Amino acid sequence: MKKSLFLLTAVLLLITSCSKDDPEVPNEEEIITTLNYVLTPTSGGIPVSMTFQDLDGDGGNAPIITGGELAANTTYNGTLTLLNETATPVEDITEEIEEEGVEHQFFFSSSLATLSVNYNDFDMNNNPVGLTTAVQTGAPGTGDLTITLRHEPNKNAAGVISGDITNAGGETDIEVTFPISVQ
Amino acid sequence: MKLLSRSVFNKYILYFFILNLGWLQAQQCNLIITGAVLDASSQDPLGYANILIQEKSLGTASSEDGTFKLQDLCPGVYHLVISHIGCEGITIPIELKADTSFTIELNHGEHEFHTIEIEGNKQRINTVNIQSISRQFIENNPDRNLGSLLQAIGGVYQIQNGSGISKPIVHGLYGNRLSILNNEIIQSGQQWGNDHSPEIDPFAADKIKVIKGVNTLEYGGGISGAIVLVEPSAITEDDHVHAQVGYTFESNGLGHTVNARVEQNAPVFAWRLSGTFKQYGDRKAPDYLLNNTGSQEYSFALQLEKDWSSRFRLESYFSTFNTTLGVLRGSHIGNLTDLEQALVRDVPFFTEDAFSYRIDAPRQEVSHHLAKVKAIINLPKQQNINWFVAGQLNNRKEFDVRRSQRSDIPALSLQQLQLSSNLNYTKRFQKYWQLKLGVQTILTDNTNNPETGILPLIPDYRQLKNGLYIQSILTLKNHQLSAGARYDTEYHYAPTISEDVPRQIITYERNFHNGTTILNYTNRRFKNQLIGISTGFAMRNPAINELYSFGLHQGVSGLEEGNVNLKTEKSIKSSAEYSWTPSSIFEFSGLIFYQYFKDYIYLNPADEFRLTIRGAFPVFTYEQSNANLLGFDLSSKLILFKSLSTEVKYSFLRGNDLSQNIPLVYMPPNSLNATLALTSKKTRKVFERVLMDKAQIALKHHYVFKQNNLLENQDFAPVPEAYYLMSMNLSAQFIFPKVKLTAFVRGENLLNSNYRDYLNRLRYFSDDQGLSIVAGANLKF
Repeated sequence: MKKSLFLLTAVLLLITSCSKDDPEVPNEEEIITTLNYVLTPTSGGIPVSMTFQDLDGDGGNAPIITGGELAANTTYNGTLTLLNETATPVEDITEEIEEEGVEHQFFFSSSLATLSVNYNDFDMNNNPVGLTTAVQTGAPGTGDLTITLRHEPNKNAAGVISGDITNAGGETDIEVTFPISVQ
Repeated sequence: MKLLSRSVFNKYILYFFILNLGWLQAQQCNLIITGAVLDASSQDPLGYANILIQEKSLGTASSEDGTFKLQDLCPGVYHLVISHIGCEGITIPIELKADTSFTIELNHGEHEFHTIEIEGNKQRINTVNIQSISRQFIENNPDRNLGSLLQAIGGVYQIQNGSGISKPIVHGLYGNRLSILNNEIIQSGQQWGNDHSPEIDPFAADKIKVIKGVNTLEYGGGISGAIVLVEPSAITEDDHVHAQVGYTFESNGLGHTVNARVEQNAPVFAWRLSGTFKQYGDRKAPDYLLNNTGSQEYSFALQLEKDWSSRFRLESYFSTFNTTLGVLRGSHIGNLTDLEQALVRDVPFFTEDAFSYRIDAPRQEVSHHLAKVKAIINLPKQQNINWFVAGQLNNRKEFDVRRSQRSDIPALSLQQLQLSSNLNYTKRFQKYWQLKLGVQTILTDNTNNPETGILPLIPDYRQLKNGLYIQSILTLKNHQLSAGARYDTEYHYAPTISEDVPRQIITYERNFHNGTTILNYTNRRFKNQLIGISTGFAMRNPAINELYSFGLHQGVSGLEEGNVNLKTEKSIKSSAEYSWTPSSIFEFSGLIFYQYFKDYIYLNPADEFRLTIRGAFPVFTYEQSNANLLGFDLSSKLILFKSLSTEVKYSFLRGNDLSQNIPLVYMPPNSLNATLALTSKKTRKVFERVLMDKAQIALKHHYVFKQNNLLENQDFAPVPEAYYLMSMNLSAQFIFPKVKLTAFVRGENLLNSNYRDYLNRLRYFSDDQGLSIVAGANLKF
């Protein structure tokens, strides 16, 4: 027992060096830095691209948000892409969501009453996911469009499969709002 | 202070006066034991104390003058069990060869009267500065964790994250402001987190104390005036192997708890081994199941003691504590929108009807290991030196619900190693003056495991603390004056990861100096009254998390940002206490305190929402302002008809931010407790050779007031309403010739009330636990 006492003292004296190795920066592979929403008019023409980019993750600098200008009374095909731009090469998170479609769903809501978004893709259980959508614009106006990604939503709850987030539950992985104008 | 108190002789001050009847007629069964039972502090005789010979199921009660007599005994080895209402019972091994007489001093009702012993000169001084929870209480509540047990003490509340996760708050202080000492060692871990329970198994302890005043100085943890002490007692003086095994079942959560403890004062060394195993499934609120709130725990402790001579003693302690704690699935939220949705729901998201023992994410996996070796040297002229070194290893992993099977990768993974050394010297001058001084060194190394794939909330760091203290206790008749001072230095080195990309390492190196002084005065001039006043000044430098934390903190549902510009927090605390025990059937005690803080460090919800891809989050930054805490605790006890006792306790606390003229957040609401207990004062024979002792039925009322001292915009959700809980406890001890059996049945939240507690984070999501029946038995050999 005396021996262990001396041993402990020795250890105590040895580690009194107070500098410490630099920490290893964790590989933030789960982080989503960028969301692109590209709307291509079904009748052809120049696609509209909306982007939310926050390269330093939670906190830090404010994200860069680019909204879009849409044409009135037009149908668009919407495609969502999610990226992790902190990784080299840039990582495409969209595939992850696609693979886990059952556990994810995007929700779209707009302050413009005449703008509607319908799901174009479905998971294994034939429930919507929302990576691809059909967007129909109505009368001109300005407002915003909010895209929400819920992880582990209850897709069987009332209204959820038709895109109503109210009863969805789960936790929010993405919630971004774009300024939009319909002309 | 520990040294001599670890001796059973000192604890119960037992005087043997073997009547010199020698060996004559040894085989005849006509031997007699006579004696007297005294109250240790007042030296008054204790009537109606029970004295039992365990092996023979034979017992008697002491008469009004404290004396007793047991006769017609055969020579042999016996265990004498002595107990009294409001006392912890004691067991004394005795080898009966001849007629024997002795005096027993019972530490009468330590937890009611808050007795403190000054060791060595066998002098006891009552003070409310030390309040404790007895072994008996721990044994009768093996299902509870430390925070929950401590609530039995006035002025102590708990901050919770569901049923299994809680930490104590003493007079409004917790986390970085309240140190918990396990076996004299400052518990090292991630104390900053409100959702981090202390990693301690109360069953391995014999006493849990809350200490205030001068006595906190030697531990170095009493930064702002109070500490929690968890300590085992000395190992039995008995050279037979003693064991106890307990099993407890709890209906809510279908929980099982198994405890065991074996000890022996073997000729080579004294040893004690104790262990606890717990398993709980989903707990239940009155109206729904709380999914994923199960927990598991296993822990062991080994204690060794050896007296090499009357001058030198070695003690060592090893423990390991391992737990997995589930957190309500419905409390795991993404952002503020989710929280707002959760707030308006009656039933939490993800609630299912199927009960399960499974613990998924979110959950915490924590392990804590402690090793300590202590050497005690008694020197001539009432001098004593003790030195102890300890090592602690704390591992904490927290798992969140994550994408792509990452739920099995911890979102927080921390490892902390702490080494400490304490050297204490005590000198007693005559009977009236005790001087104590010591030095302390603590080295802490904290490392984040990068496996998380998430930027750490708390940086890696290395920290060196050195402390020096001196305290003096002067006792003159009924007056006691204690004074002490302490000086601490802290150096830390923290390489942090930058908030900006590309990520860089920014290293901070800081030095701090802290001073603490405390002065106490106690007067026992009138035999049944005690008056005490205490005042102290303390400094606390900002902690690592307050300086450098950065990131999303689930515990506060926001982005938490440290503040490197924080200054040292200073506080002055004054308290006055009074207790009055006019007779053995009535007592009253009260304590009032006021604490003023300059540069009080707190987490401020900034008027700012930071936009992230997950939506908006409130930003919490560490700020400083001047603050005060004012509180009082009252307690009163009345014993009617010698067996019916009533006890009422009330605690009041108010915290104010003086700079901004607003209330302080997270302050315990006021509470009122009333207990009505009927205790059988006689030992009864229930069967041939089976005696029933300490039979008790107790009804408890617990009322928590609404926390009205809070502005509406200081919280996400309205403050919960006041609530009332009723609980009942039935317990009894059965004494068999070789075995003692303690059995109890307890009902918690008997009315199955729906309630939410202000300091339980889960109140945002769900009701608190509903009705629960706990039943347990404990066998002692």
